[in-house]
Amino acid sequence: MLSDRKFIIVCTMACIGSGRLCARGVEKLCQLGQTTQVRRKSSAAFVKIKQIGIQPLSRTLLQKSTSNHVHVCSSADVTTPTHRYYSQQPGPGSLPDYQTVDPYRLLEDDLKDVYSDIRKELRWNTNQEELHTIATYYFDGQGKALRPMVAILMARAINYHMNKSGLTPAQRQVAMIAEMIHSASLIHDDVIDQSDFRRGKPSVNVLWNHKKVAMAGDFILAVASMMIARLRNNDVTLTLSQVVTDLVQGEFMQLGSKETENERFAHYLTKSYRKTASLIANSVKAVAMLAGADAKLSEVAFEYGRNVGLAFQLVDDLLDFVSSSDTMGKPTAADLKLGLATAPVLFACEKYPELNPMIMRRFQEEGDVEKAFELVHKSQGLEQTRFLARKHCLEAARLAGSIAESPYQKSLIVVSDLVINRMK
Amino acid sequence: MFSKLVRCSSSFKNVKTVEAFVRSSASEKCLTVCCVNLKRDFSVSRSTASVSGNPSHSQRPDWNRAVSEAEKIVGYPTSFLSLRWLLSDEIANVALHLRKLVGSNHPLLKTAKSLLYNGRNNMQAWGLIVLLISKAAGHLNVEEMEEDKAAGVLHSQRALAEVTEMIRTSHLVHKGLVNIYPGLYPEPGVLNDMTFGNKIALLSGDYLLGNSCAELASLRNQDLVELMSSAVRDLAEGEFLGRRDLQNNPLPSRPDPAVMQAPSPPPVPGRLPRTPALLEWTHRNVLSAGSLLGKSCQGTLKLAGHGTELQEQGYKFGKHLALAWQACLDLEPFTSGSHYTLGTAFNLTSAPVMFHLEHDPSLFDEIDKGIESVHDVDYTKVHSIVSKGKGLALTKQLQKEHSRKAMEVLEVFQESDARTALSNIIVAMGEL
Repeated sequence: MLSDRKFIIVCTMACIGSGRLCARGVEKLCQLGQTTQVRRKSSAAFVKIKQIGIQPLSRTLLQKSTSNHVHVCSSADVTTPTHRYYSQQPGPGSLPDYQTVDPYRLLEDDLKDVYSDIRKELRWNTNQEELHTIATYYFDGQGKALRPMVAILMARAINYHMNKSGLTPAQRQVAMIAEMIHSASLIHDDVIDQSDFRRGKPSVNVLWNHKKVAMAGDFILAVASMMIARLRNNDVTLTLSQVVTDLVQGEFMQLGSKETENERFAHYLTKSYRKTASLIANSVKAVAMLAGADAKLSEVAFEYGRNVGLAFQLVDDLLDFVSSSDTMGKPTAADLKLGLATAPVLFACEKYPELNPMIMRRFQEEGDVEKAFELVHKSQGLEQTRFLARKHCLEAARLAGSIAESPYQKSLIVVSDLVINRMK
Repeated sequence: MFSKLVRCSSSFKNVKTVEAFVRSSASEKCLTVCCVNLKRDFSVSRSTASVSGNPSHSQRPDWNRAVSEAEKIVGYPTSFLSLRWLLSDEIANVALHLRKLVGSNHPLLKTAKSLLYNGRNNMQAWGLIVLLISKAAGHLNVEEMEEDKAAGVLHSQRALAEVTEMIRTSHLVHKGLVNIYPGLYPEPGVLNDMTFGNKIALLSGDYLLGNSCAELASLRNQDLVELMSSAVRDLAEGEFLGRRDLQNNPLPSRPDPAVMQAPSPPPVPGRLPRTPALLEWTHRNVLSAGSLLGKSCQGTLKLAGHGTELQEQGYKFGKHLALAWQACLDLEPFTSGSHYTLGTAFNLTSAPVMFHLEHDPSLFDEIDKGIESVHDVDYTKVHSIVSKGKGLALTKQLQKEHSRKAMEVLEVFQESDARTALSNIIVAMGEL
């Protein structure tokens, strides 16, 4: 059941874990995968991974998610090693034997003003009330602030690594910029997807007209670009501008494609990189560059962000199948309804080829969404997706492990864990 | 045919194949078909874009001559709508999707048409002006590698001109979205088309904006990035100014009593009085046009290594030229011999209407009928009232004022073919 060829290949890719354009890797492996030799190798790799185990993971997750944030106050506890967590196999019913650093707690002071500072920045840039209202709508402080959090953690971890302390104003700006670019893309997504709710409140496109919403997105992006420029660092500007092009290209990839079954997973991963991982990867790279990191260290930061981002997206796609509408800010199976085939479906169609025509017609026919939803649940698609996400998190944790030990570096490892465990 | 374009475009590896492809009639036919289709579908329809989009007026020969001669001065045609752009995967994708929209009523087609079919006259001219002022000002202390000797401009300046066009196009495309609200399209098929059209319009605009960010970043000049980003900000802000109908088309604002009572500054001889109508018109058009052209001209002088004083002059030039241009476009429906068809919609915040309202607020009664849709206004009536009033004369004066200010800036530059071309363009505009 798990030994589907494509899944093995994907896992092998995840094991290799390097290469910015992961999709390219998959593509190549797909081609190579035709030869039995490689296939055998892949299987071997797969078995190894399997021993680390999906099964204990899913159980720990369920338990962990109930006691979501374990707060740790003293800094002595903060330094408790956590990076060995992944090799531990806690027995059923018992929590792992360590205390978790809560990155949000650790960065409380750094994060508490991020949203209000963004709002101030936007306020300075317009005196049109309606524009200001739309532009600040998603900066209400209710979001997870995942991107600023990861960026600041990486900034502090790298600073420590380079024998500096604290957080520079420029690095904090990057954290804000990351959230702004994210919100600008959310706002445009709302128009494209015609979604009614986001983060538990009406989407912008429900409250204001489409043209104004589109303009508000452009406005946020423009203000973010001005903030980037004020950092006066050519390489940082180049790095962050890459994010914007990636986001758009990701959207284009989502528009519709007629790729073959073999190309589909590669297409999906590249799209996920561009739509989600690129922002995280490039913003942590930017803070590393601002710390004065060399190319190698910046690349570690980048790869960390890329892996966390891909895992985040995979879990997001997974939650679309398991979350009920009240825990997510949006209804379940939203992706299917939008005609999008995400990882769980792509994995499921290995076992249920009847999904292929549905994917091709973007679940447009009567009953397609329900049927696909059911087949995904009957297949191993969800486990396989979680497994792949976990592989990316492991890789992220490994990369974080190569940075000098500090509470922030530990938190980077915890973040990869949080990404897997999140319920929304 | 389009799928061929798509496939070809993604498989292009070298310039030679691109050239071969360009020469092949298939591609030409492809674009022509697209344009013809678009033309057929839109020449008769009176879509909202005719008001909200950029008016793509047909220009007269003098104008065309001034522009095409100017183009020769700065080398090859300036439009970013070059093959490089048309052949990108994303745009090929857009072309593919656009085809699905043909037959629907989405204004994106109108925008696309004005880009492909009528592109010579409006979009390109902005980049051209950036290049001309670059050449007129010359450049200081720049490495030879950076220079496009034949054209007399820097490669970075050419890139900036392209960025200017991309930003402007992106804005027009985003402006061309349709506000879909419950009940607007009761028919599901039409609703689907419009929703899909919005999606494509939004993404195409984002694509251009994203590319302009990347292109700007590659110029490695953070002052310039900040300047141009602020122009994007201004364009977005401009869409929120004043009263709007349900499709976000602007309507003149009823005068604010507080403003009316405030003492107006003493009139300066030979200058239009700074009345609320003039201030509103200027504010609106600086945000939606003057800022971008002004900052682009300022930016290109920055790239050339000129001091802040000359950069300021560049800003002034671009801003005033854009405003003169706008005044000229505003006059078009009232000019005899123009292509304007009586009774069709024109911009209600155009200078002639704004000036007229200040002298004759009773016209607001007609204007206010457009509060839901500007198409509910009786344009024949507004046209005839405005034609008889002071609005036209004041607008002509406005255009002259801005043209003169732009000309004044030109005097700081040495005599050159580029400077002459710029002044020819300004003169030709005055004769439209």
